[in-house]
Amino acid sequence: MSTALYTTRRIKNVIAMALSMAATAIGLLFLAWILWETLSQGIAGLKPQLFTKITAYREEGGLANAMVGSLILNILGILIATPIGVAAGTWLAEYSMRSKLGPTIRFLNDILLSAPSIVLGLFVYTVVVLPSKWLTNGDVTFSGIAGGIALALIALPVIVRTTDEMLRLVPGTLREAALSLGVPQWKLTMQILVRAARSGIVTGVLLALARISGETAPLLFTAFGNNFMTFNPIDKMPSLPQVIYEYTKDPSPDINVLAWAGAFVLTMFVLALSLIARFAFSRSKVSHD
Amino acid sequence: MTNMNEVASQPGFGTSPHAATADLDQAAPKMVARDVNFHYNDFHALKHISMDVPEKKVTAIIGPSGCGKSTLLRIFNRIYAIYPGLRASGEIILDGENILDPKYSLNRLRSKVGMVFQKPVPFPMTIFENVAYGIRHHEKLSRSEMESRVEQALRGAALWDEVKDKLKNSALGLSGGQQQRLCIARGIALKPEVLLLDEPTSALDPIATSRIEQLVEELKKDFTIVIVTHNMQQAARVSDMTAFMYMGELIEFDRTEKIFTKPDKKQTEDYITGRFG
Repeated sequence: MSTALYTTRRIKNVIAMALSMAATAIGLLFLAWILWETLSQGIAGLKPQLFTKITAYREEGGLANAMVGSLILNILGILIATPIGVAAGTWLAEYSMRSKLGPTIRFLNDILLSAPSIVLGLFVYTVVVLPSKWLTNGDVTFSGIAGGIALALIALPVIVRTTDEMLRLVPGTLREAALSLGVPQWKLTMQILVRAARSGIVTGVLLALARISGETAPLLFTAFGNNFMTFNPIDKMPSLPQVIYEYTKDPSPDINVLAWAGAFVLTMFVLALSLIARFAFSRSKVSHD
Repeated sequence: MTNMNEVASQPGFGTSPHAATADLDQAAPKMVARDVNFHYNDFHALKHISMDVPEKKVTAIIGPSGCGKSTLLRIFNRIYAIYPGLRASGEIILDGENILDPKYSLNRLRSKVGMVFQKPVPFPMTIFENVAYGIRHHEKLSRSEMESRVEQALRGAALWDEVKDKLKNSALGLSGGQQQRLCIARGIALKPEVLLLDEPTSALDPIATSRIEQLVEELKKDFTIVIVTHNMQQAARVSDMTAFMYMGELIEFDRTEKIFTKPDKKQTEDYITGRFG
């Protein structure tokens, strides 16, 4: 019980606390800076025409076609990735126990999770866009579908990982309790475990959606972009991140303002998704114990 | 290697004025373990266990942590089989059939042998669905039949009066003690013959514990009960027979009264009197 010991500890505590608070402050500073910059620069471009006119009108236009295109691409990506991702994550968590394949697939999935998105775009260009030329007599066929597949490849490992982890968080005793009633493994998985982990899985899907909604690189060689409004998934499709990317390089300041406005809309969309995901997850915590 | 026959041949057995003793004497064995061995990979966790679990009695298994008491219980419904690397050998005879035989259907086994775990684990569903879920898997019942089965099970678990007005509420909103009684209701709803209780009160407060103990007393009219507990007073209060296990071996198995007053083995006596464990 020496006072010297307590004093040393208190000093160490103060130092550690100060360092971690400084680290937090640096992180938050940049976040606030980014948000402030997008808001202050983008606010000039936030006019009704941003949501009603298409990019073909340039300075006189808006980003309506890009927003619609992004929406379609994201929905396609999530629709493709969710069933595969949830099924694969379920297999990893519930069925791979007795197989050596489980850890291998988990490892490969982590690699896919950190794969550069432009590589995934090129991959889809090679296996989807190029071969589809045979169907169209040699025309290059960039399409919303190809873009959706590229985005799905980015969303997929996120969904696999969260599904796997959320299911593994479900207490083992819940499995034993159901199995001891004679319930077979598939019923246990579908009716009890997925239900118990439901909000965690939904959160994973929302986070994947937030992730892909900001992607530009995988869309360059797949969806390609389009200055007109299109709802046709086999047509070239515009997207918000890609328009932002092109508009920021434009020499016209009026076009740059539109890029900022687009960035602001996209940021708000991702922020809203993250908040919904947080809300869904915080509600789920109540139901776990 | 003590079993019912040896118990019966021991001096003093059957001559005691204690009513339960004569009763125990006549109780037929419901589940018979014969030379059961269990391995966790290379670890020999249970060594040559043989015991007769008497019908419609409460059999307690006691012993220090890690002695294999839960492991033994988990063989009785083969729940251990869901994990890789676990192996049981020997025989466990239930109604004349060896349940360790891989040909013995797990579905059938688990409808005959119910289990309640240490921590209450209600399913993430309504109270009604928690009880109906297991029944639905084994039997096709009409709505009204199902309702009466669920009510019967909840009454059997002494929970009906507390939940009858909120059957549609989530089971996760119940208190720990209520959740555990719900798990018991879920188990007895399948009308099993044997009920395995794995330290069912270790996560509960004293009041909830005493309710569960009263319930066990009630349930033995209809079910054969095996309860694992690390609470010796609990074993003494609720059980008719007590098995003492140590380091994977069954040291002594006898009437509870005898185990707690004049055990044959020194190890048992040391444990009961708190000299080790």
